[in-house]
Amino acid sequence: MSWRAVAAAILLIAGGLLELVAVLGICVMRDVYDRLHYVGLAGFGGLLIGLAVLVRESFSLIGDKALLVGAILVVTGPILVQTTARSLLIRQLGDWRAKAREESEQ
Amino acid sequence: MCSASDPSDRGGDVNEWEIAAAVLGLALIPCVGVALLAAPASGLAAMQVASVLLATILVLLSEGLHRQPFVDLAVVFAPMSLVGSLLFARLMERDL
Repeated sequence: MSWRAVAAAILLIAGGLLELVAVLGICVMRDVYDRLHYVGLAGFGGLLIGLAVLVRESFSLIGDKALLVGAILVVTGPILVQTTARSLLIRQLGDWRAKAREESEQ
Repeated sequence: MCSASDPSDRGGDVNEWEIAAAVLGLALIPCVGVALLAAPASGLAAMQVASVLLATILVLLSEGLHRQPFVDLAVVFAPMSLVGSLLFARLMERDL
């Protein structure tokens, strides 16, 4: 077994475990804000699996695109979480920024 | 003509990439359960994790089956799932 196969297997298992932990967190956590933390974690699992494919295939067509998908998942994860949390806060409390603006004008 | 990626060439063997894809495919079931049974906001979080899982499954299938179209699909799906989730979040903000 070559070192590439071993490294790819380790990355694959680590990435898969991270994604399974993210699914477990989504199921176990009770609050939506707690659940949102696991979206970012799942993205990092995707990156590790993309790296596993890259190690196995080197910089081929599949390897490059797997890395691209992992990078997209990691970069967009925090954006998604922040935007979703903000939307849920506005839904819950109303637009606090408009209220703050009105209060500062008075 | 048989190519190297023809499943019949592999004698029905399942490799580690296909096993990982199957495990992550099973992990989609709890996400669907949360999306169906929990509050809409929690369902949105479950849908976001499920979309990450699905993009990863497509990458794994591409490597396991040596079929490049799956990874192309993942490259398109990952940004599109972001757009869809942002749209859902925006609509949820206004109680639509």
